[in-house]
Amino acid sequence: MTVASASVAEPTDRVTREIPEEELFRAQLYSLLSRLLAAAPDAALLATLGRISGDASELGQSFAALARGAAAASAADAAAEYHDLFIGIGRGELVPYGSYYLTGFLHERPLAELRDALAGLGVVRVPEVKEPEDHIAALCEVMAGLIEGAFGDPAPLTVQRRLFERHIAPWAARFFAELEAAQTAKFYRVVGRIGRLFIGIETTSFAMTASDELDRRAT
Amino acid sequence: MSEQADRLMAKRREFLKLLGMGGAAGAAALTVGGVAPSQAAPAQPETGYRETAHVRKFYETARF
Repeated sequence: MTVASASVAEPTDRVTREIPEEELFRAQLYSLLSRLLAAAPDAALLATLGRISGDASELGQSFAALARGAAAASAADAAAEYHDLFIGIGRGELVPYGSYYLTGFLHERPLAELRDALAGLGVVRVPEVKEPEDHIAALCEVMAGLIEGAFGDPAPLTVQRRLFERHIAPWAARFFAELEAAQTAKFYRVVGRIGRLFIGIETTSFAMTASDELDRRAT
Repeated sequence: MSEQADRLMAKRREFLKLLGMGGAAGAAALTVGGVAPSQAAPAQPETGYRETAHVRKFYETARF
């Protein structure tokens, strides 16, 4: 489902000019996690990931590890691994939904609260998507969209922070840690590590920018 | 932007960069070949949501 069109190209250009590099990096990382958690990487994506590099930071080293893993994996391996991890027979090793992590069941109150929050942000599911919105890939996609302005103007940090702290932070670090340690994971282990590190970075950086003044400016 | 907000944002930027979010190996590396924002795109232009200006579409990756 990759239909590029002028209507999405325009805001991206605008955003690229106005959004600082490190904020765009966040959006790209959310998008990458969203893509890898929504479906297994195909051969083209594995080839692309095989060329990424990282700096000396722990996150950067994880990108280098991701590149090595991508270079070593075939699309068939990755598809089988994805299936075992997230789909399985009956269920996969992991159940990547907020409601499940927070209550032990799917479709519980956290999903309803998330839907309210998304409605408040003007974000709705496309009709043909049946997947609940609290799937980790959907949440990552929404965060990327808020940062880049895919749903209108780029969302202020305060708005991003609210969604993150209420609907992602309470469970995503645990999910990514479990992915990192999952028995059936190989390629996806490092995806789990990157996700866990990133959620930690987001948690800290949102907390450090929490201020009444920024909140007022956002409303 | 006020001084306090400026200070906060500078602190944030410094923190993110320190932890590997950005820089030479950052955004450019991740977007190699357009990895990043390729999945979210308008697959179908108009739905009933159109009448409400504030309701925008949420495009999720097709998995099923």
